[in-house]
Amino acid sequence: MEILRKIITSTRQMLPLHSGFLLLLPMLLLSCGKEEDTRPALEDGKSTVVYDLPGDTEASLGEAVDGKQQRPFYTFLFRLRDQRQIWIKSQADSSQWLKTSDWDLAFTDEYNSGLYLNNADFEYNPGFQGAAKNTAVVLVKDAYDNVTTAPADDVFANSTVNKIGWASSESSSGWFQYSLNTHIMQALPNRTYVLRLPDGKYAKLQLINAYKGNPQTVTNMNWPAPYFTFRYFVQQDGSKNLSTR
Amino acid sequence: MRLRRFTIYNRLILVLWFFLPSILIGQSRNLLSGYVLDSLRRPLENAQVTLHPDNKIMQTDTAGFFSFTDLYSGTYKLEVRRVGFAPSMHAIALEDIDSLITIHLRADARQIDTVLVNGKVAAVDNLVRVESSAMPVKIITRREIELMGSRRLDEVMKEQTGVAVVNDVAGGSRAVGVQVQGFSSNYVMVLIDGQPMMGRNNGNFDLSRISVTNIERIEIIKGATSCLYGSDALGGAINIVTRHGAVTPQAQASILYGSRNIVDATLEAETPFAHQRGSVVVSGNYYRTDGFNTDRQFLDNESTTFPPYENYSFQGRGRYRVSKKGTFGLTSRYAARKSTMINAWSEDLRIEDKQEDQELSLAASYDHSFSSALRSMSRYYYTRFHTQMDASWLQQEILAGAESFGQQAHRLEQQFAYTPMQALKFTGGLGAGLERMDEQSLDERRSLNTAFAFLQTEWKATERLLSTLGLRYDYSNAYNGRLSPSLGLQYQLHSSLLLKAGVGAGFKAPDYKMRYQVFFNPAANYLVVGSDRAKQIIEAMDASGEISFKNTYMLNILDNNLKAEKSLSNNIGLAWSPSPKLQLDASLFYHRINDQINTVVVANGTTITSIFSYRNLPKAVNKGFEVSATYQASRSLQLSAGYQYLIAKDLAMLDSIRSGRYPYNQYNNAATGEYRESRESDYWGIEDRSRHMLNLKALYTYQPWDINLNLRANIRGRYPFQDINGNQFIDNADAFVPWHTLLNVTLEKRIFDQRMTIRLVGDNLLNFTNRNMLGQPGRVVLAGLSYRWMKD
Repeated sequence: MEILRKIITSTRQMLPLHSGFLLLLPMLLLSCGKEEDTRPALEDGKSTVVYDLPGDTEASLGEAVDGKQQRPFYTFLFRLRDQRQIWIKSQADSSQWLKTSDWDLAFTDEYNSGLYLNNADFEYNPGFQGAAKNTAVVLVKDAYDNVTTAPADDVFANSTVNKIGWASSESSSGWFQYSLNTHIMQALPNRTYVLRLPDGKYAKLQLINAYKGNPQTVTNMNWPAPYFTFRYFVQQDGSKNLSTR
Repeated sequence: MRLRRFTIYNRLILVLWFFLPSILIGQSRNLLSGYVLDSLRRPLENAQVTLHPDNKIMQTDTAGFFSFTDLYSGTYKLEVRRVGFAPSMHAIALEDIDSLITIHLRADARQIDTVLVNGKVAAVDNLVRVESSAMPVKIITRREIELMGSRRLDEVMKEQTGVAVVNDVAGGSRAVGVQVQGFSSNYVMVLIDGQPMMGRNNGNFDLSRISVTNIERIEIIKGATSCLYGSDALGGAINIVTRHGAVTPQAQASILYGSRNIVDATLEAETPFAHQRGSVVVSGNYYRTDGFNTDRQFLDNESTTFPPYENYSFQGRGRYRVSKKGTFGLTSRYAARKSTMINAWSEDLRIEDKQEDQELSLAASYDHSFSSALRSMSRYYYTRFHTQMDASWLQQEILAGAESFGQQAHRLEQQFAYTPMQALKFTGGLGAGLERMDEQSLDERRSLNTAFAFLQTEWKATERLLSTLGLRYDYSNAYNGRLSPSLGLQYQLHSSLLLKAGVGAGFKAPDYKMRYQVFFNPAANYLVVGSDRAKQIIEAMDASGEISFKNTYMLNILDNNLKAEKSLSNNIGLAWSPSPKLQLDASLFYHRINDQINTVVVANGTTITSIFSYRNLPKAVNKGFEVSATYQASRSLQLSAGYQYLIAKDLAMLDSIRSGRYPYNQYNNAATGEYRESRESDYWGIEDRSRHMLNLKALYTYQPWDINLNLRANIRGRYPFQDINGNQFIDNADAFVPWHTLLNVTLEKRIFDQRMTIRLVGDNLLNFTNRNMLGQPGRVVLAGLSYRWMKD
């Protein structure tokens, strides 16, 4: 009983003093915010969304340790029609695939981050002097959803976009930014590539992420890469209508 | 009867034997004792009473009582300090008689910028006082640390207003540093007993290396402090003062255990010897944790983002008074940490990241008082740090990274404190250091030889005005000499209102990497060349046709021209104590960093994408204000609050936006679909800095049950984590950590005549975690016991 009385009196003593602090508490609890991932949804019902397509992850895992030179990244090809990934690991692979029009995109160089649309005319293009005549890429600096029609033919004709990689300068048509401070590749959100494919059809393409799981932020320098998340839409009727809304 | 007589005789001999030394010296020794009370005449327990010049230290008991025995007659100074009270200084003339005195302390809970009267000694082995930096100083006492129930230094630090502990993602998964008033960790020097600590990861000093068990107090200096500590103290300093000898033999054992299998076990023992002429303290601590995963969305259950680790540390300190005027001191410290962290994105993408750290330090000091006006301190310090890191992909058996790094330093310093008159005090010194990195390939450049001289003047020009002037000159083989001044003023506007202002300079010399290193990143295909070698290397590459473009103008600017980073800190503030129960503080701060070192593209190669080097840029500004208040609501309840408003901006970033330089010239908001040219107003500020930080604290003591309840809320405003829209500056479309509150509570109950303490600790009770706050574990609950043996 003695103890009980003590508790009651002490609580009563405490109450007026604490009331200010107690009132503050719920406010504090409320102030616990949640920062949502505000990126727009990728699926629109019309586009094909490719999640985590692995690039040459083995080449990217190790650093050049003890003077050993790291193996260069293998190039892979990608066919939009059936989402087929084709690896170019040997001379035989190269001669079987590169000069054909059986592929649309080539992922080359460091982290497979340098993209090419199959093209016979541009030097350095993996499809150089091959079968993919009359293909072209136009960079539209707008969001993927906002690109609803392919540009006019003369825009394609005048486009010199060949490699799509690190957007290291204003004039670059690259798809990502690389920061020397954070060493992280960051896709530029307002870059949509309109493609005229080897079969003459029009398509639009957005590259979204090179890190596994398409994280909004990269919190570890060893975050597995390259795992490509990208989306595209091919207009099957041959028209320039690219609306995916 | 015979027996009894014999016993009495025996006792007499014993008593005689005890007094023999003093009799032989021909001088009697006396007792000085007293009570420490608050303004309401209540006894103050755990007040620290220091006797100068002997530097004996006592803690008051529950009755507020203390006593010093075996004192020669003469003039002494008593310094009394206690958490929540302003320190006070008393001159005592001890005659050939035992004395009993009463000391009243005035409430002053925050202890920020205590007014200096007649000078006080910061530590037994250091004459340099942090107050001389002219920057605001926050002192955290041992008792405050105890009441927080914290185990590691980072936990104590992140509860302080204006201080944050942040992960540096670019520095790797283990790069964690402390940020003070907007300055990142590489600008904040960390010292132990006034000697710089080594071992940084990408510039970050990980404070979790340090156990708080043997810490007497922590001094945080907010602002440029090179006038005290030389290079690196560009933005501030954290000085850890460890415990030294006691007057009563005692030992303490404590253990805490709880969530995440955290174990914190400590053993401490201390005793005087040779009739109080010497004292020794030894302590050992073991700590372990399972770590924590803040990113369950992407990492599996076995993974952690806050690394699991095991840590051992041992420290010993001894002091011996070799003569009436001279005291010799010795400190040694050893700490080792082992950690194995798993990061797994899937079964086959599993990285094992191992780290082993070791550090050893030895310090010796000799304190000599030539007269009451002149004191000398000679100090030697040796420290060594070694770390080994290995990360490998388990499934693939591929090494992801390995690093071994070792560093050691010797330092010799001679300090003087000279007080020609009451109102004037000089502290000066000379010193030299030799620092060496293990890496052989660095040849002669792995050594850094430094020499320095400093003088601090404290002058109480009038009763109301106190000025401090500091000057320090640093010279080294790696950079030119540099002078760092500071000036502080304190003016008593009214008996309860104090005006404080200070200005100080700081600098940080470019390191080896920025000047000489050549680093090629094959994965991203770029090259970074130290500024002193950039011109030569790029010309050689150009001659062999490897360069497609070079910025000759920039190369000429850089050539042997990389300057030290500099800072200028300014602060002005008011301290107001309208009543003994209430203390208010407000201050404005403005820090400017000039010549901050940053990377710049100097050339493009035919095969290598870009070649970078380092240049100076007119850089960052941290400005804002801090307010704090402490209110003694009743005998048993103390409330306090601290708030910091901070704007931290990179001026070079603003320049880039203004001039429309790519990629800074764009603003892309994927969420709203807004794409346009960027504007200056889009710039939010530097990463990891909150505009708002608020700390609330309530300390409740229920005297009848001897229970203390300490409740703290650390509230942080939203802060940017990473640029995600590719323009390389932070705008509102980037990734942020939201507003959040970390609620911590400690409950302490003493039993068995205060010998045993039962402690319950709850950290982050609201269980707030965020995947961009890698180092903030969820809710942690711990329970523990500590027991203290004391010789009566």
